Amino acid sequence: MLQPKKMKYRKAFKGKIKGNAPGGTTLNFGSYGLKAMEPERITARQIEAARRAITRHIRRQGRLWIRVFPDVPVSKKPAEVRQGKGKGSVEYWAARVKPGRILFELDGVPGPIAAVAFERAAMKLPIKTKVVARLGDTSHLGA
Amino acid sequence: MSDQLTLSAETREKAGKGASRALRREGRIPAVIYGDKQDAQPIHVEERELTKLLHTGHMMNSLVEITLGKDKIRTLPKDVALHPVSDRPLHADFLRLAKGATVEVAVPVVFVNQEESPGLKRGGVLNVVRHELDLVCDAARIPDEIELDVTGLEVGDSIHISAVSLPEGSESAITDRDYTIATVVAPSALKKSDSETDEDEEETEGEEGAEAAEGAEGEATEGENSED
Repeated sequence: MLQPKKMKYRKAFKGKIKGNAPGGTTLNFGSYGLKAMEPERITARQIEAARRAITRHIRRQGRLWIRVFPDVPVSKKPAEVRQGKGKGSVEYWAARVKPGRILFELDGVPGPIAAVAFERAAMKLPIKTKVVARLGDTSHLGA
Repeated sequence: MSDQLTLSAETREKAGKGASRALRREGRIPAVIYGDKQDAQPIHVEERELTKLLHTGHMMNSLVEITLGKDKIRTLPKDVALHPVSDRPLHADFLRLAKGATVEVAVPVVFVNQEESPGLKRGGVLNVVRHELDLVCDAARIPDEIELDVTGLEVGDSIHISAVSLPEGSESAITDRDYTIATVVAPSALKKSDSETDEDEEETEGEEGAEAAEGAEGEATEGENSED
């Protein structure tokens, strides 16, 4: 699973996800992409599950880019522990995703295959998404 | 050569976000025509018409004739701002063209004869580094697309701009380096064939095993068995 190699601070504030994505909203590498339509923290585990769903479906063809990175440490207190005594330990890593952000990009596969692969990936994610393509390409529609 | 597209427009009286939002609510998109040493002209266009042109896929490298009242203005679209979530157009920029003007445009690249490439036939992947080429050409002779032949390309081969024969009257806007347009790379299956068996084992281990798969390195090491 993805996680930072080193970090400046061990724990982070929870934060709020406000507004739309300021960047990373257009296709930069591939011909097809999966775009987030809602704000949410997406965990490294969810990203990995979606990645596996895509690579399984495209069966070693094409190329996949992951456009989000889980760099927020999320902490949790152990079960049956009283409140206080400081913040819990880091449980997992997450990416803060704003609406409009491209999560994955694919290239080297036909449109209908990319669309189905992304549909399967979307089932692993906690947000609504949509499949996007380069302008003028409609081959992914109706897959 | 690209077709000439047409778009009807009306003059925009008020500028600013309030007026622009009011226009968008009515299904009109604020736009501007500038260039040719004349003052900028704020206009607004029909959203549906603009979206239709955008979805032709070659609007950005085609001349667009804008009908503004009785005038017909020859322009080149320079930018279309899209909403980050809905992908609806928010604003468009058009460059007014003088007669005989040369322009810098991004022309899409199309790869042909992919069946004739031994590298791709053996399962290699065409890694497109640049989906569009920046060209300097005469405004009246903008190429529709640039066809690149991948015949004979093996895994590891690449196509550089120096190897591309551009249409007459066009030249690359980037001249300081011989940049790469596409490469044929080995599929992930060939690169990671050694670790394939390890991955299969990992997946059967369940969640504990998945945590240990940190070294899986991207999409490369996927096993063939499907859980779906």
